[in-house]
Amino acid sequence: MYTSMPSKSIREGIIKGDFMIINTDVLVIGAGPAGSTAAKHAALNGAKVTLIDKKSEIGAPKRCAEGVSKDGLAKLGIEPSSRWVAKELSGVRLVSPNGTDVLLDDDKVKLPESGYILERKVFDKHMAMDAARAGVEILVKTIATGLKRGEEDQVLVDVESMDEKFQIKAKIVIGADGPESRVGRWAGLKTSIKPKNMESCAQFEMANLDMPYPDCIDFYFGSVAPGGYAWIFPKGDDIANVGLGILTTKTDKTAYQHLLEFVKNNPATKNAQPVELNIGGDPVGGMLKDIVADNVMIVGDAASMVNPLTGGGIISGMIGGMIAGKIAGAAIQDEDYSKKRLKEYKDKAQEEIGDSFKKYLKAKEYLLSLSDKELDSIADAFQDAEFESINTSELIKLLIKVSPKALLKLGKLF
Amino acid sequence: MIVNEWCMYCGECAGVCPRCLIEVRESKLIFDPENCKDCQICIQVCPVRALEKE
Repeated sequence: MYTSMPSKSIREGIIKGDFMIINTDVLVIGAGPAGSTAAKHAALNGAKVTLIDKKSEIGAPKRCAEGVSKDGLAKLGIEPSSRWVAKELSGVRLVSPNGTDVLLDDDKVKLPESGYILERKVFDKHMAMDAARAGVEILVKTIATGLKRGEEDQVLVDVESMDEKFQIKAKIVIGADGPESRVGRWAGLKTSIKPKNMESCAQFEMANLDMPYPDCIDFYFGSVAPGGYAWIFPKGDDIANVGLGILTTKTDKTAYQHLLEFVKNNPATKNAQPVELNIGGDPVGGMLKDIVADNVMIVGDAASMVNPLTGGGIISGMIGGMIAGKIAGAAIQDEDYSKKRLKEYKDKAQEEIGDSFKKYLKAKEYLLSLSDKELDSIADAFQDAEFESINTSELIKLLIKVSPKALLKLGKLF
Repeated sequence: MIVNEWCMYCGECAGVCPRCLIEVRESKLIFDPENCKDCQICIQVCPVRALEKE
């Protein structure tokens, strides 16, 4: 049976091969960008932190189109590195179903939300390494299989690492275990995502593309991706992430089938070849209301910290992770891990992330209500529009000018 | 539930399961068939149609 071990670290305990309970202040489950950021900030704020990931390689396989804004990285205090920036972007191209495009590049407009395409496999590792340097103990190929409340106001997490089974006794558990989150559910939070709020995504990383604007990210709207959109995100040279997200409530085909059609029909990908296939769910229903329980916080995709309009969640997940990590560190100092204490995380995350998502949720609903014909006519109207500064919010303001339907649905919000 | 060989363990099925019955490992899906109410949402959302009813 389990006995407490005086091991200095979990790894040491595993080497000794004893059944054990390991004590830590903060256990972070999942080493994506949100989890690693949470772990790092909890450690920087004085907590003893353990970070586990079920995979053998942090960052792989990616389930992501890899776009981030420069502002977002700056907000997190992360210096861009040539190790994980695949491509710097200088614009956005929006393409309607009949191929009419609206090009917004930095020749024409200021792009405060311009950004980078990352190499996530390297980026995610870099973030975990940052956590390690802050003092976090990391275990890979280690999965949490259950959580229960222990004595002394702590939680016991069942963990498996290869053939070893042990328990980690933590004061605070941060669930960063992705859209399939189980940590939240174990803690009694309602994290299950309805299919209408889960974009089903498929993406090829391809080479030999023929991109008319290889410095711009392309978005394709309409029936090419029912309930979502398709994208081409350039990664330098003739390489790009080519993918789409659909709502399975709006089509009988799978995301993969839609992707094959998109690749076949798009002029840029006619001669392109895939070197990687990525799939996965993207929770786009807006940030979850319940992200905190006694001793437990959930962050990142697990908490639906994803912009409902764009599906982007790297930066927002990491901001959520940073807030959760700091508050976990402070709560450890205060010796108070109650839901009441941790609610500070929920309030701050709501303020910094959740509130801004509400209007994007409305914008998404509007976008999804448009027929291919309506999208084409909006793209036409945009041809003569004057742009000065463009970000997502400005773009929607412009949309309101050219579309009476947009005015009706979004006029008050933007 | 039959998990076909081409499953990529992305976990979208687990995310939508209303009863939290699917555990996603690095290269294995574990279902809890006893508590399954056969809603089949997991089958519906799979991006590569890897799941099949037994």
